[in-house]
Amino acid sequence: MPFVPNPELGNRIITLMAALVLVLQIAAVGQRGIVSSIRIFAVQSFLLGAIAAVIAYFNQASHIYIAALLTVFLKAGLLPRLLERLVEKVGIRREIEPLINVPLSILISGGLTLLGYVVAESFYHPEETSARAALGHNTLAVAIALFLIGFFVMVNRRKALTQVLGLLSLENGLFLAAISLTYGMPLVVEIGIFFDVLVAVLVLGILVFRIGETFDSMDVSKLRKLRE
Amino acid sequence: MEVVNLAAFAILLSLAVVLVAQVLRSGPVSLWDGFFYADALSALVVLLSAFVSLVCSIYAVGYFRHEESSGVLQEAKEVGGRSASDKLREYYALMPFLVFAMTLVALANNLGILWVAVEGTTLASVFLVMFYGRETSLEAAWKYAIIGGVGLSMALFGTILTYYSAYGALGTDTLAGLNWSVLARNAAQFDKPTMRLAFILILLGYGTKAGIAPMHTWKPDAYSEAPIPGAAILATGVLNCALYGLVRFYILSSKCLGPQFGSQLLILFGLLSMGVAVPFILVQKNFRRLLAYSSIDHSGIMVLALGFGGPLGILGMLLHMTFHSVTKPLLFFCAGNVQQHLNTDLFQKAKGGLIHSMPLTGAAFLMVTLAVTGSPPFSFFQSEFTVLRAGFARDHFVLAIFFVSFLVLIFSGFLVHITGLVLGEDPGLPAADMCRWKRYSVAGLSLVIVVMGFWIPAPLFRLIQGAVGIVVGG
Repeated sequence: MPFVPNPELGNRIITLMAALVLVLQIAAVGQRGIVSSIRIFAVQSFLLGAIAAVIAYFNQASHIYIAALLTVFLKAGLLPRLLERLVEKVGIRREIEPLINVPLSILISGGLTLLGYVVAESFYHPEETSARAALGHNTLAVAIALFLIGFFVMVNRRKALTQVLGLLSLENGLFLAAISLTYGMPLVVEIGIFFDVLVAVLVLGILVFRIGETFDSMDVSKLRKLRE
Repeated sequence: MEVVNLAAFAILLSLAVVLVAQVLRSGPVSLWDGFFYADALSALVVLLSAFVSLVCSIYAVGYFRHEESSGVLQEAKEVGGRSASDKLREYYALMPFLVFAMTLVALANNLGILWVAVEGTTLASVFLVMFYGRETSLEAAWKYAIIGGVGLSMALFGTILTYYSAYGALGTDTLAGLNWSVLARNAAQFDKPTMRLAFILILLGYGTKAGIAPMHTWKPDAYSEAPIPGAAILATGVLNCALYGLVRFYILSSKCLGPQFGSQLLILFGLLSMGVAVPFILVQKNFRRLLAYSSIDHSGIMVLALGFGGPLGILGMLLHMTFHSVTKPLLFFCAGNVQQHLNTDLFQKAKGGLIHSMPLTGAAFLMVTLAVTGSPPFSFFQSEFTVLRAGFARDHFVLAIFFVSFLVLIFSGFLVHITGLVLGEDPGLPAADMCRWKRYSVAGLSLVIVVMGFWIPAPLFRLIQGAVGIVVGG
C-alpha cells in the first residue's frame, strides 16, 4: 500500500511556517542594522524553500522540489552572500535611518497584515471544503501581507541597499502566493523567474555600488538632480 | 561589432517578414510543442520590433562615431573607469540582448515566459540608461530599475492570479496552464473575482512599463539619459512589448468579465496620461524630455483606444502602434543630431535657426514634429481619427472632447518649441558634421514616413486587421 501523507498535518505545518515568515518580515521592519536585515532575509527565504518542500511532499508534486532547492540555494545562500560582500565593499557602517520611527513602522506593518487578510477573504469560498481552499486562504493572506510590507519597507528606507532588500522580500511574497495558491507555476516559468531575480539583484548591486562610488553615500534622497 | 549588429538585425527583419507571410497564409504558427506561438498580433509586434532595431542600429553607427570623435565617450569612460572602445562594445553587446528579449515577449506562448521576457527588457535597458555614468544617469537608472521592478512584480502577481483563476477551469493541466493558446479557449470559465484583481494588477504592472500616468515618472529621466538609439528603442520597441502584454490580458479579462470592466480602467488611465503630458509639453525646457512626454502622450492614446474597444478602437490602437514605431525613431534621431551639434539639450541654450547649419535634420525635424502631433498628411492623423470615431461610436462624447483638446494643446506646444529651435535667423554656426550613416537613416526614415502617409502595404494592413480580429473576436 503506497504511503499517503495526511494533508491535515501538512496544512498545519505550512500555516505555522507561513506565520513564521510573516513574523520575520515584521522583525525586518524593526531592524536597524543592514547586515542583520540581510540575515533575516536569508532565514525568511530558507523558510520559504522549506514551505515549498512541504507542499511538494504532501501533494506529491515533484517539480516543486526543484523550486524549493532553487530558493534555498539562490535566495538563502547566494544572494545574501552577494549583498553582504557589497556592504563590505561600499563600506557602510552606519545604521539604517527609516523615515518613520520603528514603533510606528511596526504598527503600520500590523495594519498591512490586517489588510492582507481582508483582501484574501474575498477569495475564500467556504463551500469548497477541500484542503486546497483552506491552504490558499491562510497563506494567500500572508503572501499579500508580505507584498504590502515589502512595499512599505521600500518607501520607508532611504538607503539604496535596503530598498533592494524591500524589493526582494516583496518578491518572496509573490513566491509564497504562487506556491501556495497553485502548487507552483509551470517549471519553466519558475526557473525564468529565479533567473530574473538573480540578474535583477546583480544589476541593482552594480547600481548601488556605482551610486556609493559617485555620490559617496547610498542615501537615495540625495538623488534629486532630475526635476521638472 | 557594428557590422555584426547590423547584419543580425537585418536577418531578424527578414525572418520577421517570413513569419508575417506564414501567419498571413496559414494562420497561427507554433513551434517546440507550443513553447513559441505566433498569431497576427504577435507577428505584428515582432515585425515592428525588428524594424525599429534595424533602423536604430543604422543610426547608432553614425551616432557613436560622432560621440567617439567629439570626446563624449572619453568623458563617460572617466566616470565609468573603462576605455571608450569598451563603452562601444558594451552598447553593441547590450543591444542584441534587448532585442532578443523584445522578440521573446511577442513569441512566447506562456504568459509567465512573457513576464520573464519583459523583465529581461528592463534589466538590459537599465545598463543603457546608465551608459554615460554621469550622476544624472545613475539617478535615472536607479529610478527606472526600482519603479520598473515594483511595477513588474505587480504584473507577476497578476500573472499568478490569472493562473489561479484558470486553475479550476483547466483542472490538472499544470504544464500548459499558462499557455496563451489554452487560456484563450477557456477564459469564459475563469474565476471572476480573482480575474478582476489580476487584471488590475496587470494594468498597473505593464502600465508602469508602458509609462502611463501616474506611473510614468521614470520615463523623462530614462529617455533623456540613455544614448539616443537606445532611447529610441525604449520608446518604441519596449513600449510595444508592454502594451502587447496588456492587450493579451485585456483579451482574457474581456472574455471572462465582459469588455466593460477593463474598458473603464483603460480609458481612465489613458486619458490621465494624455492630460499629464500636456502641461509638461507646454512648458518644457529640454527637448529630450519633450520627447519623453510625447511618448507618455502616445502610450496614453493607445491605452485609451484599447479602452474604447470595438473593432474601430482596436484598429485605431494597432494602427497607432505601427505608425508610432515608424515615426518616433526619426524624432529621436533628429533630437540626437541637434544635441550632438550644439552639445546641449536645452532650448534656452540653442539659439534657433538650425535649418541653416543642418538643413537635412532641420527639415526632417519639422516634418516629423507635424507627423507625431497628428497633422493631416501624415499617418497619425488616420489612427487618431479612427480612435476618435471609436469614441463617438461608443457614445463617449465628453471623453472624445477631452481627447481632441489634449491633442490640440500638445500640437501647439510641440510646434512652438520645435519651430523656435529649427527656424529663425542664422546664428552663424558652422555646418553640422553629418556622416553618411546619420544622413541615410534620417533621409530613409523620412521617406518611409511620407510614403506611409498615403499608402499602407496591403499585406501589412491585412496583418493589422487579423490582429484586430484576435483582440475583438478571439
